[in-house]
Parts: sequence; structure tokens; C-alpha cells
Amino acid sequence: MLRAKAIKTIFLWDWELQYRRSSGWFVSLLFSAVVTFLTSLLIKNPTANTWLALMWMILIFSALQIASKAFSANDGQYYYVNQLVNPLELLIGKSLSTSFSTLLISLLSFLLFYLWVGFPNISDHQTPLFPLLISISLGSVALSFTLSFTSAIASKVDGNASLMSILSIPLLLPTLLVSLRASKLALLGQSIEQIYPIWIGELSLCGLSLALGAILFPYLWRS
Amino acid sequence: MKAWKITGIVLVAYSLYAGLTFDVPRLVILNETIRNLYFHVPMWFTMIALLGNSLIQSIRFLRSGQEGSKVNLSRDLKAKNFAEVAMLFSLLGLFTGMIWAKATWGTYWTSDPKLNGTAVTLLIYLAYFVLRSSIEDLEKKARLSSVYNVFAFVLMIVFIGILPRMTASLHPGNGGNPAFSNYDLDDGMRMVFYPAVFGWILIGWWISLIRHRLDILKKEK
Repeated sequence: MLRAKAIKTIFLWDWELQYRRSSGWFVSLLFSAVVTFLTSLLIKNPTANTWLALMWMILIFSALQIASKAFSANDGQYYYVNQLVNPLELLIGKSLSTSFSTLLISLLSFLLFYLWVGFPNISDHQTPLFPLLISISLGSVALSFTLSFTSAIASKVDGNASLMSILSIPLLLPTLLVSLRASKLALLGQSIEQIYPIWIGELSLCGLSLALGAILFPYLWRS
Repeated sequence: MKAWKITGIVLVAYSLYAGLTFDVPRLVILNETIRNLYFHVPMWFTMIALLGNSLIQSIRFLRSGQEGSKVNLSRDLKAKNFAEVAMLFSLLGLFTGMIWAKATWGTYWTSDPKLNGTAVTLLIYLAYFVLRSSIEDLEKKARLSSVYNVFAFVLMIVFIGILPRMTASLHPGNGGNPAFSNYDLDDGMRMVFYPAVFGWILIGWWISLIRHRLDILKKEK
């Protein structure tokens, strides 16, 4: 039923399109760079809470920006794609490619954020980078799985750009809270034993939105 | 009039009378405001029951087009009406809670997980209504909003389930505060509280069905 080859085709097709269009991948990167730069001008020496809040705001809006374009192809293209793959393969392929680009953009904007704003001043210890990167990566992948599905809903409604954010932001809150908790513990230099249950939480939220999407997408896509 | 409607009226009338006049435990800070338990908490039970039926109607709508049969648009309309009445109950729960919070915590609004959960629930279902109003085609509207309803309901439940475990709460039963039932919901209060919950659910169900019938009549006209 589910063919790995079909998912791979959708994934690669998406990536090729992203690279060939200057309006693809590069716009999202530029968007997050501009927002990060703006933030770095507006705030100096943030506290740990402010730092995390700002970083996740940037990550959310970058992820929203990327995912809102996930299903933006014209009817002709979809007529062709629907001949090749079934809805479930389309959703999984699209979710994977969206989460992959979200992951890349998140890590890049985290690097820029680190470069321009730096870490918050937490005295008496060094923040290890590795757990923080894992927390951010898992969180942004979880965000993008939820966003891919709402993007599919929004793409079926013509000409409503703000609908995407209205539909998805309330749904992102559980993921966001869990990711915020994980990255906060990582930022404060807690040990892996204390953080990994929250990583499992982030992973299960990924799984939840993917599973829900997989059940519902065939109903959404038939027309 | 059907028996369950009469039961609903009788139970709500009883809970109004008994809730305001029967004897209640005397507790510091809470004092007489403990009576709000009979009015504030049933609103949430009713909201969840109505949203649950809205979810079931959405699932039944999505399944109705499956076996070659015709899609049943009235199921989707029912899901919408139940969600609307559920939002009415959530607002009522919010207002009764705000009055209670002013009396016991000293403020109308705090950043409490349950309050945030309610705010998010309202946002999710307002988005559901916005989604409905932005699609012209009736069948497409029903299909997309049913899909969103199912997706949103599950994530909302996750949110309501996760949030109180992540942060401290002033509400009983969360963040180390024992729930009412643990120590001070005595048998006298139970005898009013459970009928109130049941009665309000029946009344909410009834209001939703009336709205649904009104919508069907408007469509036929």
C-alpha cells in the first residue's frame, strides 16, 4: 500500500522545485535571517526566559512560512501527482520534505541567533551545545508535522493567506510548550537524564500529528 | 416532550434551588462561594460532552461518503451546532470562574493552566468557525471543517492533558492542590453536584438540537 519509492519521489520532487525556484528555500532563509537580525538590534543581553521566547518565536514563524508553501502547486500539477501516488504517500513525502527544510532553517537561524545575540548570561556554568541542538531539532520537526497538515487544509481554501496562521497557531501550543521545556533545561545545563523524557514527549507529538494526518488526509484530498 | 428533556429541566431546576439553599461545608477563603461549584464545574463537563458529540458527528460525516452512499451534510451541520453551543458553555464557565476567582484568588484572570487551556480551546473553535465561513461550496466546507474538527479536538485534549502537568496551578486537583473530592466534597454536595452536571449536559444537548433543527428549516426555505 505505502510505497517507499513513491514517498522518495515526492520528497525529491519537492526539493528540486525548492532549489530551482528562487522563491523557495532561499526566501525562508532570508526571512528568518531578517527577523533574527531585527531581534538582535532590539534586545541586548536577554535573560534566559526572554532568550528562549524570542528564539522560539523566530522558529515558529519561519516554520509557518515554510509550511504555508508546502501544498502550493496548481491543479494541473496535482492532477499529475495524484495519478502517480496515493494521498497518504503524498502527505508523508510532503511532511518529510517540509520537516527537513524546517530543520535546516531552524538550525541556521539558531546559528545566526547565537552569532548576533549570543547566549544569555547564566553564571557559574557553561551551556553544552549538543542537548540544546537536539531539543531545537526535535521541536522544529514536531512543529512542521502539525503545520504540514494544516497547510494542506489551508491550501484547499482559495486566497486566504492568514487562514493558515489562524488554523495552526492554537494547535502548535502543546508542541511548543514541550519544546520550550526541553530547550530550557538544555540551556540551563541540565544532564541528559533529565532532558530525555521530554525528548520522548517531542517525538511522540511528531508521531501523533503524523498519525492523525495519515488517518484524515485521504478524506481531505479526495475531490 | 420527551422524557430526557423533562429530566434535564427537573435536574437543573433542582440544582439551582438546592445549590443556593442547601447546607454547604464552611471553609476558610471559599465561604459561601463554594456553591459556585454547582454552576461553574458543570459548564466544563457540558462543554466537553458537546464537543465530544461534535467530534462524533464529524467522524460520521466523513464516513458517510465512503461506501458509495451519498454524503450526509446534516451531520456536519450538527457538528457545527454542537460546537457553537459548546463555546457558549465555555464562555459561561469562564465567566462563572472569573467571578469565583475574584472572590477567592483576588483577581479575575491569572496565568493559570486551566484558564490558558480554555483560551486555547476558544481560539481553536473560533478558527473552526472562520474556516467554515471562508468556504463557499457546501460539500467542500463540510469535508474540510470535519477534518479540522477531528485534528483539532485531539490536539486540544493533548494540550489540556499536558499543560497542568507542566506548570503550577491554583485550581484544586492540580499542581499539588488536592481536588475537592479528596477532602471536602461531602455527600451532601455530591447529591447536588452530580445532578447539576447531568442536567446541564441534557439542557446543552437540547439547545444544540434546537439550533440544528432551525438550521435545517432555514436551508429548506
